[in-house]
Amino acid sequence: MSVLRKSTVSAIALAMVLTVGSGLAEAKDKVKVGFIGPLTGGVSANGIGGRNSADLAVQLRNADANAKYEYEMVALDDECKPNVGVQVATKAASDKHIIGGVTHYCSAVAIGAVDIYNKFGLPVIVWAAVLPDITYGNKHKEVHRVNGTMINQNDVAADFVAGLGYRNWVIIHDTTDYGKGHNKYFSEALAKSGGKILATFGVTSEQQDFTAELTKAKALNPDVIYFGGLTPIGVRIRSQMEKLGIAAEFQGTSGIMSDAFITGLGPLAEGTLAFREGAPVDKLPGGKFFVQKYKEQGYPESPEAYGPFAFAAMNLLLDTIEEVGPNRKKVRKVLNKTSDRDSIVGKISFDDHGQNTVAAITKYVVQDGKWVVWEDSEYASGKRMLVGMK
Amino acid sequence: MDAGLLGQFVANGMMLGMMYALVAVGFTLFFGVLDVIKFSHGDVLMVGTFAGFSAYLGLSAMGIDNVFVQLVGILVVAVCSMAFLGAVIARYLVLPLKSAPPLNILLITLMLGTVLREAVRLFFPDGSNPKPFPYLLPTDTWSFGSFTLRADSVILLLGGLLVIVGVHVLINKTKMGLAMRAVAQDEETAKCMGINFNMIVLLTFALGSGVAAFAGVMNGLYYNEINFSMGLLLGVIGFSAAIIGGLGNIYGAILGGFLFAALQTVGAVALPFSSAYKDVFAFAVVIALMVWRPTGLIAEKSSERV
Amino acid sequence: MTDKSKDMLIGLTAIVLGSVFLITFIAIESQVGILALIGMTAIAVVVSARMGISKRISEAFSSNEALMNGTVIVALLVVTVWFREDHFPLLMIATVMLYLTACLGLNIQFGYTGVVNFSGAAFFGVGCYTAAVLNQHTAIPHLMVVVLGGVAAALVGSILILPVLRTRGHYAAVVTIAFGILFKTFLEVNDTLGGPQGLKVPGMEVLGWNFNSNIEIGDEIELSFYLNYVAIGLILSVLAFALTRRVERSWVGLSLDAVRLDETVAACFGINIRRWKITAFTLGNVLVGMAGAVFAMMLGFIAPTNFAFGDSLILVSIVLLGGMGSPWGTVVAAGLVILLPEKLQAIQEYRFLLYAIVVILILLFRPQGLLPRGLRAYVPGWRG
Repeated sequence: MSVLRKSTVSAIALAMVLTVGSGLAEAKDKVKVGFIGPLTGGVSANGIGGRNSADLAVQLRNADANAKYEYEMVALDDECKPNVGVQVATKAASDKHIIGGVTHYCSAVAIGAVDIYNKFGLPVIVWAAVLPDITYGNKHKEVHRVNGTMINQNDVAADFVAGLGYRNWVIIHDTTDYGKGHNKYFSEALAKSGGKILATFGVTSEQQDFTAELTKAKALNPDVIYFGGLTPIGVRIRSQMEKLGIAAEFQGTSGIMSDAFITGLGPLAEGTLAFREGAPVDKLPGGKFFVQKYKEQGYPESPEAYGPFAFAAMNLLLDTIEEVGPNRKKVRKVLNKTSDRDSIVGKISFDDHGQNTVAAITKYVVQDGKWVVWEDSEYASGKRMLVGMK
Repeated sequence: MDAGLLGQFVANGMMLGMMYALVAVGFTLFFGVLDVIKFSHGDVLMVGTFAGFSAYLGLSAMGIDNVFVQLVGILVVAVCSMAFLGAVIARYLVLPLKSAPPLNILLITLMLGTVLREAVRLFFPDGSNPKPFPYLLPTDTWSFGSFTLRADSVILLLGGLLVIVGVHVLINKTKMGLAMRAVAQDEETAKCMGINFNMIVLLTFALGSGVAAFAGVMNGLYYNEINFSMGLLLGVIGFSAAIIGGLGNIYGAILGGFLFAALQTVGAVALPFSSAYKDVFAFAVVIALMVWRPTGLIAEKSSERV
Repeated sequence: MTDKSKDMLIGLTAIVLGSVFLITFIAIESQVGILALIGMTAIAVVVSARMGISKRISEAFSSNEALMNGTVIVALLVVTVWFREDHFPLLMIATVMLYLTACLGLNIQFGYTGVVNFSGAAFFGVGCYTAAVLNQHTAIPHLMVVVLGGVAAALVGSILILPVLRTRGHYAAVVTIAFGILFKTFLEVNDTLGGPQGLKVPGMEVLGWNFNSNIEIGDEIELSFYLNYVAIGLILSVLAFALTRRVERSWVGLSLDAVRLDETVAACFGINIRRWKITAFTLGNVLVGMAGAVFAMMLGFIAPTNFAFGDSLILVSIVLLGGMGSPWGTVVAAGLVILLPEKLQAIQEYRFLLYAIVVILILLFRPQGLLPRGLRAYVPGWRG
């Protein structure tokens, strides 16, 4: 009995010492910031790119002697699944030590998590999710976003592709709010640009086999197949299009703009069109700086399309914490008033819903295994032809 | 719906049916021999596919570009490694628990499946992402109006058919097959007749797992993509197919496999909702079938000692 | 000191030590501390088992049940109050309680009656979705919604009753597995219930007291709103535990055990197999559904991926780990399974893997679970 008591007492003592010890350590200058993105799963390349970029911002800030605080980034994985996202958002938001967050690539996850941030009062800046409802669908003061929404993207897309001479579309979209959003805005924009939609199909985000939808689509003989969704499904649809012998142009959104799309398809990816908000990295005001610093830091993965936005978002958050100190309410107040702040992606101003306006939409086409800006490509100059063009 | 479209769906259904049948045959073999449901079968299939994928990567790294050699290499590696894994599982996890309540074995194999799945997800480089599987089969297609027949579908179908015929011949015309059937019928008498029970069990598991690996590689070649969770659904479907056909009966398993694929295809085509409901439809029918015939379509003849 | 008071003292000491362990376990943030604590506790448990102390503790528990149960509840309240201002620990505690309720339901199903159910997560999901839909679209009082969640789960379960009754063993397993997958796929493809995007669930509100707002006492003290959910979780799990105990010790439990042990013999003795299987299945589902309803309101958001096959496996494993048919075992197992991966951040990624390996080991080497169910006591006060 006495042996039992002794070991238990010493366990408790040890535990208490460690708890107090770690508590003391935090009373110093450390400030925790959160990063949430899909670090595993089909779109993990984008999530990891974003995480590295945000981490870059933190490392550069910690190396800066003038910084008032030492920052620690807590990276959480939302697996691009809404329920996991809500779980990790709850985890981050309920942790009193995390002052702010840079969150979410997947719109489906973000739309679920915004209520959590509001519930716990954690100010966040979205770095890549494009669904408009994330900022416009609620009045939560905690939620901000540095990248643009899908409305602009689809407006430009419809205009441009219709302008190339295509007439008929078949739309395939995933059934999350993200895919549905793309479907809604693209259909509206296409109606204005004069294109005709022959059929619309909704597919689940885990779906493997698209023969049913594609066979029906093939029977309708469209010029273009538009896909509103993320890379893994885009890869499957494009390769199954080939197997069924569908000769139509494949058009996607920012969701398929990743290197994983090209590696997954190989030569089949050639000629795919996609659109993204923001200028290409080297044309951004801080683009070259970002690329150089990213290389110097030695991350094995590429920052992918939204890395610069993650970097800018984290920088903005850190700047704000430097200004008002590690207090969630104060950070939120200052973030709400952000106007004309310089960043590597251009000037950031949040409107009354926390949304930044990103004017430029860049058009991309896959050429020789790389995403190339349309204007610079051989398709624009006429040396190569898209499917169905004469 | 025109004939071409119908033909397209039929062709697709046949492919799926073949894959499910191969998995179901494995389940049925295990059940027949040892009265166990090895639920990790689907995940063994997945590991086999990844093994084949690694073989492909290895061969490419060594500079061997001949498509035919790569194909054979992948198949050999996948089938042999899974045969080995199946035997190991039998030896260390299933045989010791022969006399335990069936729920325990079910659970252990379910957990084993989880272990395999998580191990691949965590330890295979970049395991949690879907991987593109190489295009190793000829990609010619022949079009008859709106019906496009892919060369790779035909090859895969023929391959699957060969394997099934091969298994059938093995079970019915060879001595080893005779031993397997004897063990399935009555373990004790088989032992009395001088059959090495343990060896036969290991061989049966090896055979079933090898067949599953073949099915997995087929799946990879057809969809050109593999990911760590592909085994779970295939395993459940294979299991349902084996059950529909009646456990312990190889022809039942094959029938069940094609029946399930037919259900899925009919669901995808005929239902007014989106094709995503096909799984719901197929599983609902499976449940209904179980109510109608609790021991499968080709009923199991079993007696129970009270 | 009389034997009885010695017993009581031992039992009380065990409970106090247990709660201290729980508090330190939840409070420690550093990984090294956690590992050290776990190591020491494991050693302590093994040592006490060797020295026969754990036998004394279980005897103490069984001879003074009312007192021990009451003390455990008080201890849990103490632990809760300790963490009154921290959101995450309270969230974990509430989750443990709700999972405990669900697993007690599953326990009735196959711990006592032998009805295999691999779709526990689906019924949990039915409860969740009922709460989501009713909360959003109707003005039914939320306590009523919790009960309705249980009722809905029972109703959905009735679809499965016929297949479950007619099949045995592996076939029954396949039916429940197929149903689980069917349910999840149905939720994903069907847009009226939110589709893959899931549904938002308005928080619980009882008599005007909003469960989702922090309780503020004066300017200084802000108590986490999760306290409300822990309270409800505690009430639910205590009710479920009491129900399970009562059922087990009554002739109902006797019949259920008979059905599990040997159906043919039980039928020969006049026990109506179908009736008892239906009762157990429905009762279990009601508990699972109620737990689900509260869970949904606590999380505020549910999606079909919450209710996959893996989650059903977790529920089944908790029951198995604790010992089939042993309520206390389920309590300990639920705590372990939910708290351990959350605290050991290092193994967060590996948790499914480690977890499956642990279950395999338990099934190979100690299939009766952590706290195996003892023999039935036919004479009051006597324990095997």
